[in-house]
Amino acid sequence: MNYTKQIQEIATRLFSENKIDVFVGYRKNTYGDNQVPVLINSAEEVSKLMMDEKSSFNLTNYLKYEHTRNKRVGLIVKGCDSRALNLLITENQVKRENLYIIGICCEGVVDEKGEIAGNCTECVMPNAVVYDELLGSPQPVREYKPNAEVIELAAKSLEERAATFEEIFSNCIRCNACRHSCPMCYCAKCCIDQETSALFNGANTLPNATHALLTWSLHLAGRCVDCRNCEKACPMHLPLHLLHKQNEMVIYENFQQHLSGIEEKDPGAFYKYSLNDPDDFIM
Amino acid sequence: MSEIKEQLVSAEKPAITAPEGWEPVIIGILCNWCSYAGSDLTGTSRLQYPPNIRIIRVPCSSRVDPWFIIKSLQTVADGVLISGCHPGDCHYIAGNYYARRRFLVTKKLLNFVGYHENRIQFSWVSAAEGPKFAKVVEKVTADIKKLGPLHQYKKEDIR
Amino acid sequence: MSYQIYQTDKAGLAQFYENIIGKNETYAPVLNFEKYEYKKVSKLADCNPESPIVLTMSMKPLFFPKNSAILKYKESSEGTEIIPDAEDDLAKKRVVLGVKHCDARALQVLDKVYQWDYHDEDYRKRRENTLIISTRCEKAGAHCFCTSLDYDVENSDAYDVMVVKAADGNYYLQAHTDKGDAFLKENTGKLAANDGIEKIKEQYTAFAASFALKMNYEEVSKRLNEQFDSSEFENATSNCISCNTCSFICPTCHCFKISDEKIKDKGIRYKAYDSCNSPYFTLMAGGHNPRPVKYRRWRQRAMHKFVYYKERFDVNLCVGCGKCAISCPVNIHIFDVVNQVANKA
Repeated sequence: MNYTKQIQEIATRLFSENKIDVFVGYRKNTYGDNQVPVLINSAEEVSKLMMDEKSSFNLTNYLKYEHTRNKRVGLIVKGCDSRALNLLITENQVKRENLYIIGICCEGVVDEKGEIAGNCTECVMPNAVVYDELLGSPQPVREYKPNAEVIELAAKSLEERAATFEEIFSNCIRCNACRHSCPMCYCAKCCIDQETSALFNGANTLPNATHALLTWSLHLAGRCVDCRNCEKACPMHLPLHLLHKQNEMVIYENFQQHLSGIEEKDPGAFYKYSLNDPDDFIM
Repeated sequence: MSEIKEQLVSAEKPAITAPEGWEPVIIGILCNWCSYAGSDLTGTSRLQYPPNIRIIRVPCSSRVDPWFIIKSLQTVADGVLISGCHPGDCHYIAGNYYARRRFLVTKKLLNFVGYHENRIQFSWVSAAEGPKFAKVVEKVTADIKKLGPLHQYKKEDIR
Repeated sequence: MSYQIYQTDKAGLAQFYENIIGKNETYAPVLNFEKYEYKKVSKLADCNPESPIVLTMSMKPLFFPKNSAILKYKESSEGTEIIPDAEDDLAKKRVVLGVKHCDARALQVLDKVYQWDYHDEDYRKRRENTLIISTRCEKAGAHCFCTSLDYDVENSDAYDVMVVKAADGNYYLQAHTDKGDAFLKENTGKLAANDGIEKIKEQYTAFAASFALKMNYEEVSKRLNEQFDSSEFENATSNCISCNTCSFICPTCHCFKISDEKIKDKGIRYKAYDSCNSPYFTLMAGGHNPRPVKYRRWRQRAMHKFVYYKERFDVNLCVGCGKCAISCPVNIHIFDVVNQVANKA
């Protein structure tokens, strides 16, 4: 998967026709083999741009910063990224008319070891769902299946699960990189970020980390698009996808097979309700 | 639907040996218009219910953010009860419809990370259901007594 | 001063480590969620003193843990009573194996600030009671630049004992401090052949040649100082997402925040990591925030690492380990940032 040439051509054209103020893409890093998200402001920098199977970061995250606010933005989105973009447009965080979206039919991204990323092997929507221009040939859409690791954990006993998650949460260092790298976490005053608040205390104890991570995943429930920005950002390599995939599974199975961001103007699962939602767990 | 049942059912683990005379602390978050009024009716009707519950009043069950539940369980609570209006009767029209979606996902997630399903319970209690509220509190208290004190993810040092 | 060199082979080294673990409280790199962290070990099989540099976290948590309770108190009608501190598990006599040179140097650099205007007793005790056995890297990581900075990686006395794997497959151990020398004398018997020093030098030459990233530290530091108002800071850091990761992972970052937790009558005061990259780092009571703009926070961080600390303490705060770059979600490297700004003359 390599769209470097096309991306460079499109970006050059957009700048020369004065259609955008800033272009958000990927560039090569000076060391190692990985890629760095880059924001370029003029056609002179277009030669830095590249895009291939190592371009894993979800660039819609940059729509929450002052660099792109109220500006005309050119953006590259893969399947999962475009779902996040759909949600951001639905939630009024970004104006569609300010964006020039280059959609990619993604064949999957690879991690540092060169293996295909976990979420790509079960991706339900590899093709961009919102775009001004689409690159690549549409990839096969998969049917939703619950994540295998979540099913495996759910089958274990309560004590085993408690032990597993205690180990995971006790490794959290409350850096909040997960929330900063998540495109759907755009709250100006994020509750788990409020380090000095008594509510979400900044101290790094196990209960605080648990509180922060569980609240964060529940605030994202129905809005998470499984781009794994959070997991890749986590310096302690915590398997955060377990929490999000668990929520996604419950939502899919109980709320009319909802999957976030696939339809235009379709908000997250918690913004809607049905008169037939299950409530036999309520006395 | 069968998948929910498989997930929620987990072996009832024997209670951690509770100290002599231990009484559970249950935080009850009740919606102002139905459940809180219902609990008030229980009181004025002179119906007895276990005193373990500490009631917090919220305007609507949809005010309940999942972190209320988690924070309660981490500090003083051994169990949490959330109660709202019956579906269709919400004072704010649809608050409880949104809330019950959130409740299901929260309950499942907390069970997934190691809280026993009976630690977090929900009910619909209307303003006229004084006796029902007493029964609900009795059931929750009995369930938590069987489970014993909560030790997971507790701010232990502070208790 | 040149200390005695000892020679051994792979089996001998394993025995050396086993002996240490048997006699001392030992920390070594342990695999945890696909990365190596320094944890207490009870047997050699549990750890890897030759852990790959890319995946190895720093030793900082052993001296400045991510969370510590610095004060516990209880209120009553008679007033507030301070509960006496529990014993500090990190202040016991201990040995750390498999330390990278950059991590060891990081502690030496941190010593300056911890013994400056306020003498941090907790840190001092932990440092005093720790012996550092450093395994020299065989080759540099793609992100490393320790040899470009202001310390002598080859002969540094930041680590007490050095373990070098030479080209012939043998291991050479040498002390770099008196403490290390005394330790080695007690813990190993087999002495080296005379060419030990040559083998070590050979290994270092190969190692030093393996660096992809090199910079002229003096020039960059001087230029950075002159370029404070450069707009290049903004260009170089526009893709930063202010996530705090770099500061938390960095072995020399030492900022912290204090949080109080109180329930009813008992309270604990915690000290946890903080990061100057956070938008709230400079937020004050009353709501004023002098550094709300991202590139200014980055500028402060880069200047602190390469200019201010050097000015005050005569050692560079950044030790060139590159851990910030590895853990950064968007792969920003401080090496790139400072060079980009310095080179925009």
